[in-house]
Amino acid sequence: MEATSVVQLDQTKAKDECLNLSLRPLQVSDVDDFMVWASDEKVTRFCTWEPYTNKEDGLNYIKNTVVPHPWFRAICVDDRPVGAISVSANSGNDKCRGELGYVLASKYWGKGIVTRAVKMVVDTIFVEWPHLERLEALVDVENVGSQRVLEKAGFQREGVLRKYFILKGRSRDMVMFSLLSTDYQS
Amino acid sequence: MEVDLSKITLRPFKLEDADDFLLFAGDDQVTNYLRWQTLNSKQEALDHIKDVCIPHPWRRSICIDNCSIGFISIFPFSGEEHRFKANIGYGVAVKYWGHGIATKALKMAVPQFFADFPDVVRLEAFIDPQNLGSQRVVEKTGFQKEGMLRKYAYMKGKLRDMFIYSFLSTDLPANP
Repeated sequence: MEATSVVQLDQTKAKDECLNLSLRPLQVSDVDDFMVWASDEKVTRFCTWEPYTNKEDGLNYIKNTVVPHPWFRAICVDDRPVGAISVSANSGNDKCRGELGYVLASKYWGKGIVTRAVKMVVDTIFVEWPHLERLEALVDVENVGSQRVLEKAGFQREGVLRKYFILKGRSRDMVMFSLLSTDYQS
Repeated sequence: MEVDLSKITLRPFKLEDADDFLLFAGDDQVTNYLRWQTLNSKQEALDHIKDVCIPHPWRRSICIDNCSIGFISIFPFSGEEHRFKANIGYGVAVKYWGHGIATKALKMAVPQFFADFPDVVRLEAFIDPQNLGSQRVVEKTGFQKEGMLRKYAYMKGKLRDMFIYSFLSTDLPANP
C-alpha cells in the first residue's frame, strides 16, 4: 500500500518535470489565455493590480504594456500561455540592475513551473543584456511560495526591507533577492 | 577642539553660506561617498546653493554658531507608488569629524522631516560597506540595517555594493 503511493507520487513528479515548457512573446491573440490568470484573485493577491474583469482591458494591457516592454515573455505549457515572466530595465546609474517579476495561473501552481521559467530567464538575460550585473526580485514577506521559487533558482536573500512597498493601499515588508551575473557564471 | 553639541542647529541654506559651503563641498574626503562632484570655486558653491540647496524639498545646513559646517538632505521619491519613501544623505566638514556632530544633527533632522512630510513612512540610507563612520552615525541615530544590496548601482563610475538602512516613522520614540 505504502509502496504503491510512493510510486504514484514519483510518477506525478516525473510528469510535472516532463511538462513541455517554453517562453515566447505574449501577443494580442493570447488574450483569452491571459484572462484566465489575470482575472483570478488568487493570482493577483500580491500584484499591484486588481483582477481583470473584461477582455477589452486585457487587450489594452497587452498592446500598451506587454508589446513595448523591454523584456516580457509568456510562460507556455505545450505552447499555450499559462503565465508570464518579465525583467524591467533601468537607466543611468541604475542600468546595472533589472527587476524580475512573474505570474502563473493557479491551476499550474506547485509543479515547479515558475522555478524552471526563472532558470530559463537567467540562462538568457545576462547574455541578451551584457550591461546587466544584478537581477533582483522583491517578494512580499507573506508570499512564501514565491520566496521558495527564487531560493530554488539560486537567488540570494539579502534582507527584509520594511514598509518598502504599498500594495493595494497598505504598506508591506518585502524580501529582497538578487542573482548577480557573476553568481550565474560560477 | 571642544565641540558643544548643544550649539548644533539646523536651518535652510543661504547664498551667504557659499564660503563655508565650499570648505566641505570642495573637499574630496567629504564628497567621496556622495553623488556630488567636489566643487572647485566660490561661483560653483553659489550656483549649487541657488540651484540645488534652496529649491530642494528638504535640505538643511548643519550649523555651529549659525555657521555652516555640513548638510543633511532628505529627498522624497516621486510617483504614486514611491512618494511614501525618502532617501537621506549628509556630510560634515572634515575638521569637525569625530565629535558626534552628524549623529546629533540626524537625531534632530529625522523627527523634523517626518513632521514636515506626514505621508512619508520610510526613510532609507544607502551606505558604502567601506564607510564605517557613516554606518556608526546612522546606527546611533536608530536606523536599522536591513541587508547588503550587491552590485546595486554605479556611483562615480564604479559599481558598488551598498548597505541599506531604514528608519520608519513608527520607529520615532513615543515622547518627542
